[in-house]
Amino acid sequence: MTQASSWKKKLRNNATGYMFLLPTILVLGTFLFLPVFYSLYLSGHKVNLLGEVSYKWVGFKNFTRMAADERAWIALKNTASFALFVVPLQTAFAILLAVILNAKLRFKNFFRIVFFMPTVTSSAVLSLIFMWIYNSNGLLNRVLEFIGLHGYNWLGDPAVAMKAIMLMNIWSTAPFFMVVFLAALQDIPDSLYESAMLDGAGAWRRFISITLPLIKPATFFAVVMGIIGTFQLFDQSYIFSAGSGGPNNSTLTVALLIYQYAFKNLDFGYASALAVMLAAVIMIVTLIQRMLFAEEKLN
Amino acid sequence: MVFQQTKWGKAILYFLLFAYGCITVAPFLWALSSSFKPLSEIVSGGINFIPKQFTFQNYYDIFVKEPLFLRWMYNSALIAVVATVCNTLFNSMAGYALARIEFTGSKVMFILILAVQMIPGQLTIVPAYLIMKQLDLLNTYAALTLPMMANATFIFMMRQFFLSFPKELEEAAAMDGLNRFGVFFRIALPLAVPALAAQTIFVFMGAWNEFLKPLMFMSDKSMFTLTLGLNTFKGQYISHWNYIMAASMVFTLPALLIYAFFNRFFIKGISFTGGK
Amino acid sequence: MMKKSGVVLLSLMLAVVLMLSACGKNEGNTNTGTANSGTNQEPAKEPTAENVTVTLAGWGASPEEQDLLNQTLKEFETKYPNVKVKYEVIADQYMDVIKTRLIGGEGPDVFYLDAFEAPGLIDKNVLEPLDGYVTPEFDVADFEQPMVDAFKQEGVSYGFPKDFSTLAMFYNKKDFAEAGITTPPTTWEELQADAIKLTKKEGNKTVRYGFGVAPELARQMFMIQAFGGKVSDAEGNATFASPEALKGLELVTNMHSVDKSSGEPKEVGAGWGGEMFGQGKASIVFEGNWAIPFLESNYKDLEYGTAELPTVNGTKGTMAFTVAYVMNKESKQKEAAWQLISFLTGKEGMKTWTSKGFALPTRKSVAQELGYDKDELRSAIVAGASYATPWQAGSTLPTVMSNFNNQFVDTFMGNSKLEDAMKKAEDTANKEIAAAK
Repeated sequence: MTQASSWKKKLRNNATGYMFLLPTILVLGTFLFLPVFYSLYLSGHKVNLLGEVSYKWVGFKNFTRMAADERAWIALKNTASFALFVVPLQTAFAILLAVILNAKLRFKNFFRIVFFMPTVTSSAVLSLIFMWIYNSNGLLNRVLEFIGLHGYNWLGDPAVAMKAIMLMNIWSTAPFFMVVFLAALQDIPDSLYESAMLDGAGAWRRFISITLPLIKPATFFAVVMGIIGTFQLFDQSYIFSAGSGGPNNSTLTVALLIYQYAFKNLDFGYASALAVMLAAVIMIVTLIQRMLFAEEKLN
Repeated sequence: MVFQQTKWGKAILYFLLFAYGCITVAPFLWALSSSFKPLSEIVSGGINFIPKQFTFQNYYDIFVKEPLFLRWMYNSALIAVVATVCNTLFNSMAGYALARIEFTGSKVMFILILAVQMIPGQLTIVPAYLIMKQLDLLNTYAALTLPMMANATFIFMMRQFFLSFPKELEEAAAMDGLNRFGVFFRIALPLAVPALAAQTIFVFMGAWNEFLKPLMFMSDKSMFTLTLGLNTFKGQYISHWNYIMAASMVFTLPALLIYAFFNRFFIKGISFTGGK
Repeated sequence: MMKKSGVVLLSLMLAVVLMLSACGKNEGNTNTGTANSGTNQEPAKEPTAENVTVTLAGWGASPEEQDLLNQTLKEFETKYPNVKVKYEVIADQYMDVIKTRLIGGEGPDVFYLDAFEAPGLIDKNVLEPLDGYVTPEFDVADFEQPMVDAFKQEGVSYGFPKDFSTLAMFYNKKDFAEAGITTPPTTWEELQADAIKLTKKEGNKTVRYGFGVAPELARQMFMIQAFGGKVSDAEGNATFASPEALKGLELVTNMHSVDKSSGEPKEVGAGWGGEMFGQGKASIVFEGNWAIPFLESNYKDLEYGTAELPTVNGTKGTMAFTVAYVMNKESKQKEAAWQLISFLTGKEGMKTWTSKGFALPTRKSVAQELGYDKDELRSAIVAGASYATPWQAGSTLPTVMSNFNNQFVDTFMGNSKLEDAMKKAEDTANKEIAAAK
């Protein structure tokens, strides 16, 4: 191949690539990237948006302020431990559900629909139901007492309040990723399993050496979106603590803190700085996770 | 799977599936039954699944009494359909390009698409509002349809799916003289049916249930979506759970039906994978 | 060839979408046509005889309340035929949406404002001062004083209260008879003693608390003030951990952790005090007027009475919650906006709005005319108006409140000592306030 033609090919690839991306660039660029960019800009300013609009460049002051803000650290710690606990569990659980529901099974479609229900039920309804399950005289404590364990004050006790939210989150998010994995499983040709079976590989062995590697891109997606989703936990914390993040900061998350600063205190500069910090943390965690996955090698 | 090999294993598997099914279906059934109860029964503290005083009043009140109900339904459906159609196409195109086409800046594009999702939405809603105002789109359908025409999450998902497709088919097609668009529409998309089905479900659900955007962008009652309109029964001090439950059925059911319909595409053999 | 058809398909889809969006826009505009002409037109110089539209924003309400508001607005439009009111309901996160719209310069002409949020918005200078519009017939002196003051800063009024409620003591008559209590408690000591008698246990589980309480600042501020404490000082710094403040708060937490005679709604699976009371899981609660229609329509067999809150440290006290109509400083229809505000908070409009008892009038004359000051259930709530503490405390209240609530629930649950928890909350709040300067 001559240099000219390879250059030509490259040009054509670029043109096609951007052609494919054009709608996305227009839409996401305007409605997602611009607001995010604006937030980046705000994070270096002391801002007043309501009333007399003013931007004052303060350099890294919003970030140094964070260092002395103990609630920011507590929120980060809560959020990180939440993600660390929820992401692996919900991913594993989603894979388990998908694999089972992909097998030859009676009433398969029935189970697929039933298991998906937590994802479609509205969050207001879910949190109401969970209040009913988690209160001191609620369903969960009755079950625990029935099997001889002692109950907790799930919502009032800082030691367990976040755990209550974790359980709820896994239960309602896992079906979402279950669907992703179900779709991914369809792309694994049966012939691979058949030949493995001929080689005498057991079910577990087949799962480890065929299923898992082939759904790796889907797993990468589930883990990254899981990380982003859990690090941005807001709804449940907000509803469970009526917006305060209590008791004793136990349900305080970074997103809740950002919301408090942005809308309650109208301190958009600091709220943006917190968001940038959060994004940086998510980015780092994603990178670490990506190194572990090394997904690009698949091709 | 392991369980299926013995009779007992099968029984245990079905029992576990059934038990977990109870846990997932219970809240839905509870909401369904509550939607047929008067408020007094819901707040009485009882936990009966079968309504004692069965009533259609909640549905009557929110549907028939509300003159704008049909309008809201139309708004919601229109937005959800436009979002679903555009997303399935645009996300797939973008995902395909990121996974398969080698072009300058594709890595940067991919990282940007991941990165923009890392800033929480609670913060970007104010700038998004200002942009809508600048474009003079407040109180128009475009305020909801335009930003929902592509979605970073599902671009990422589609990219992951296209990554694992066999390259050979495409290469063969390219040999036959198909250009990139041809390969995409003729070869890649048909292969991606399960992923497209998953995407359709998620996008429809997301658009149908979207709350924050219509809440901020629509001040005109006739431009409300169903989710927004049915939430206006929330009082400052008192929650009318009977209406909220009836309304929640309206959000849940279409999404569930779409899921039930597209679920059929999660079946092996519909995509001709692996060079069959 | 394929390339072409791909492009054709793509442009077709875009065209469809744009068309949908475009016709959507047109439709939207025909609907908002009147509103746009209202908000975009030149300022109010034009003679009022010309038709104008005023936008009014508020939060959602039950269908009955919405009907009542519509009726009131209709009366206004009959009286001022040249002014049309466009009512915009904000379904959720009311203040977040209002603030966003104000930032975007698209705020409504007139909107509801809770006293709690008033200092913040007044500080930002986005509300129109109303004193210049007030006429003698409007009769400001007729309002309950604390409710008007809640929307004043440095003597200037920025809003007039549309309705209010104080907290009154709701008590279950059957439970009282069962426990042999003949009169509702009038002092905190009596309340404590009665609550112990009223608490009912089955095994080691409390099935009914004597006193149902909401451990949050909005409901406890008057307890902080009972012994001379203050939520925050003139600079906006939190001071709720002072010995005087703790003295009042201790009364509340002790009933939960020492006497075990009080509980919060969450502990028994109820959403709020009224529900807890209605379900018979608390014999006494402190709630407002909003609980009366709720209890009436949902717990028909409930026999209950109301009384003024028991005195603490020998003085009467309660909380007052009030909401005003305020005017957007950027409004292009200020004359008409004032006409709307003055009608809705005037004697006529307020009478219609409060006629069904969903809300209580802030005007003494209207309360008398409708007989609420003698009403069996509502008189205790009306009586509280003259000595109540309005729920507000400067523009730093959001920070103060979230830190207070965060720690107060913790100590209320018995996880930490009151003094330590409040000290911690106060320190954190003040650090955050200092950092924001």
